[in-house]
Amino acid sequence: MNAIHTVTVIGATGTMGANVAGIFAAFGDAKVYCIGRDMEKVKRTIPRIIKSVKADSIRENLIPADFSMIEQCISESDLVFESLIEDISVKTDIAQIIAKYLTMNAIACTGSSGLSIKRIAECYPEEKRRHFFGVHMFNPPYNMSLCELISTDYSDEQTKKELKSYLHGKLFRTVVDVNDSPAFLANRIGFQFINEALLFADRYKDNGGIDYIDAILGPFTGRSMAPLLTSDFVGLDVYQAIVDNLYKNTNDYAHETFVLPEFVQNLIKNNWLGRKTGRGLYQTIKHGNDKTSIMVYDIAKARYRNTIPYIFPFAERMKKCFRNGDYQEAFCELINNHSLEADLCLSFLLKYIIYSLYAEKEIGCFSGAADDVMATGFNWCPPYALFYALSETVDVSLLIKERLPEISAKTDITNLLANLKRSNYDYRPFFKSGIQ
Amino acid sequence: MRKVYVLGGAQTDFERNWTKEGKNLVALLKEVVSDGLSDAGITWEDIVEQNRNNKVGCFVGNFVAEKYIEQGHLGAFLTEVDTAFYGVPSARYEAACASGSVAIDAAQAKIQTGEYDLAIVVGWELMKTVSSQQGGNYLGLAAYYEKEGKGIDLPFPKLFGRLADETLNKYDIDENTYFDTLAMIADINYQNAKRNPLAQTRKWFMSFNQARHRGTETNPYVGGKLAVSDCSQVTDGAAIVILASEDFLNAKGLLSRPIIKGYGHRTAPLLFDKKMDDNKKSEYILPWTRQTVVDAYRRSGLSVKDIDLFETHDCFTSSEYVAISCFGITSPGKEYEAINSGMISFNGKKPINPSGGLIGCGHPVGASGVRMFLDLYKQVTGKAGGYQVPGARNAMMLNIGGSATTNYTFIVGTDE
Repeated sequence: MNAIHTVTVIGATGTMGANVAGIFAAFGDAKVYCIGRDMEKVKRTIPRIIKSVKADSIRENLIPADFSMIEQCISESDLVFESLIEDISVKTDIAQIIAKYLTMNAIACTGSSGLSIKRIAECYPEEKRRHFFGVHMFNPPYNMSLCELISTDYSDEQTKKELKSYLHGKLFRTVVDVNDSPAFLANRIGFQFINEALLFADRYKDNGGIDYIDAILGPFTGRSMAPLLTSDFVGLDVYQAIVDNLYKNTNDYAHETFVLPEFVQNLIKNNWLGRKTGRGLYQTIKHGNDKTSIMVYDIAKARYRNTIPYIFPFAERMKKCFRNGDYQEAFCELINNHSLEADLCLSFLLKYIIYSLYAEKEIGCFSGAADDVMATGFNWCPPYALFYALSETVDVSLLIKERLPEISAKTDITNLLANLKRSNYDYRPFFKSGIQ
Repeated sequence: MRKVYVLGGAQTDFERNWTKEGKNLVALLKEVVSDGLSDAGITWEDIVEQNRNNKVGCFVGNFVAEKYIEQGHLGAFLTEVDTAFYGVPSARYEAACASGSVAIDAAQAKIQTGEYDLAIVVGWELMKTVSSQQGGNYLGLAAYYEKEGKGIDLPFPKLFGRLADETLNKYDIDENTYFDTLAMIADINYQNAKRNPLAQTRKWFMSFNQARHRGTETNPYVGGKLAVSDCSQVTDGAAIVILASEDFLNAKGLLSRPIIKGYGHRTAPLLFDKKMDDNKKSEYILPWTRQTVVDAYRRSGLSVKDIDLFETHDCFTSSEYVAISCFGITSPGKEYEAINSGMISFNGKKPINPSGGLIGCGHPVGASGVRMFLDLYKQVTGKAGGYQVPGARNAMMLNIGGSATTNYTFIVGTDE
């Protein structure tokens, strides 16, 4: 692999493309050709890129370009990063163009979040396939350091090693080797959790549905944002693509939890895609005086309403405990409270631990990969850390067998939890009280 | 006077925003105290046992919680952490950004005289409870507020901006060279912080190029000719160190631990103007800061030659700059030589702020003195992980309060 002095980012006006260009230009101190369809739009994106890494000094590193310049840009580049839309034919088409002009020791990457890396690799001639990788970063990469590195059977081991070292040592990414599997690791774990939460919102629509489930799985359960609110942020169309991919192409014990609920399909049909369209699972209402309020889609009534300020005694007690730093007391409360909501909350957390460990093994990742991906890709309390946090109070293995009999029947819990490596992460910062 | 041993300690991750997490002072103390005791190998029972004979005390460093969280009587909060602290004498010490050092000094005195065998020193500050403008106003209380802070936006960047101007006046240095060396200090500290898993800025981007371009949208001026890249950042955090007597070490069967070899404590004129008037006869721009270092060398019998690394108070790059000659690394006016030659870089002969310093780690005001001291301990015991200075045996810190009004130094080293 050459030292990386010059990079081409294709799709530099998109959210990820722009942010990735910033990372290469700043931490990588690379000259970055930013390619977009419309030169003027690329030029207008430059200030956004500068802002994303808070550094005017990278301006001279960012070179706006359009597709007419693609041959020149690629032939000068040590690394080409493709960040176009998640469409296999768009990606294979551009791969053929990149392949034509890519120099012998240069690296080509796709930022795809779940398409077959192997299929895209096969658009390259054999000798250039060895230098093609999936490099899946998370948004925004300035805050979320996760980088899933996907190699194929064609990948050159030495190049992979050097690329990994560059991503970690120079770009300060948390690099996790992942095999070319549907949605890789982070999204598989995260979207399994979120989609199951969506299914439960549907099941419990008469208790409140969407905001009811988000209140049960909010920041006090070890994440910065409630799960269904997260899918609204991702965008329901993007969300659907990921979950459909997982449903179609995986077949593990959680398979049926990847079915997209019908009410979500209806929202998507109406183009109510979440944050980016102003409404989806939630709706932002702007008032005249610059204030906004949030409404939620009521699944039972098929219309938007005000969110309900649910008060669950177990959750209130947990939050008070977190405020005072009494973490174990909070977990005790959760385990010993048998309200419907506490049971739902705990079972989701336990399911998360098991699915994380299962998926990590299934995809062939190293032990602890699930921790890295969930902490640095989702900003959720990572599963190993959560396991050890609960273990200070209870035998987690026994608790799982007691609370999740169906899952215990489908997969070998004892084996998954045996000799579990200690976590590199501190669970405490992830649990928020929500009290000011 | 008896030796004072450092048993261990801990700090919180200075990246954390405890207001966003919705956690209060008690949560902060519970985490740092349990982590620190664990690191030092001290149990709650040890505290109870020492307290039976009135041989343990707590020393809390904090600047101005009265403003940030509207809470006083801070020494008493250890009793909220665990019942082991019931009856343990405890009080809060304050000297603006040197509050942590005052607490360490009070603790070491009690052990040196034989009063206590065990001392628990905690420095902390919660600053994210208010807006940055309000917080900036509170920081003005570390200066002579009525004359230097009131009605002034961001008083401290302005005061240290003046220190930069005065440095240029006093010594024969080219202005561009000087400001470039300040940018190098910023860059060194940001890059050092990348090796520190508890540093606030470890994920942030900074380069020499970014630091030397001041007055841009992403690096605006904040005080005089200083820009954001020249400043340490406000954050939340706590640090704890546990000190003990030789008797305690022997009774617990603990192996050798490092000792406090020397210290200095001087208070310079409060007003910045008076400081500058006072330095006319000295080759040093901050003569009382230099004196504090000299006092520590005298007490320890060591000199700059013996010190393997320095943790200094880089609230602003201009304060680290003058510290270079105060330490004796160069003569006054020649500080730029040590920067340009790489002497103070992480791999240099006299690395400064291998932890990242205040600029890299963040500056929770009351915690910083204790955090620096903890980093000295980590370095001389080989526990500094990714930012370990190889073979470190003696380490020195300089912690200042206000515009170098309170000055504190400590030297921690292996007991030989």
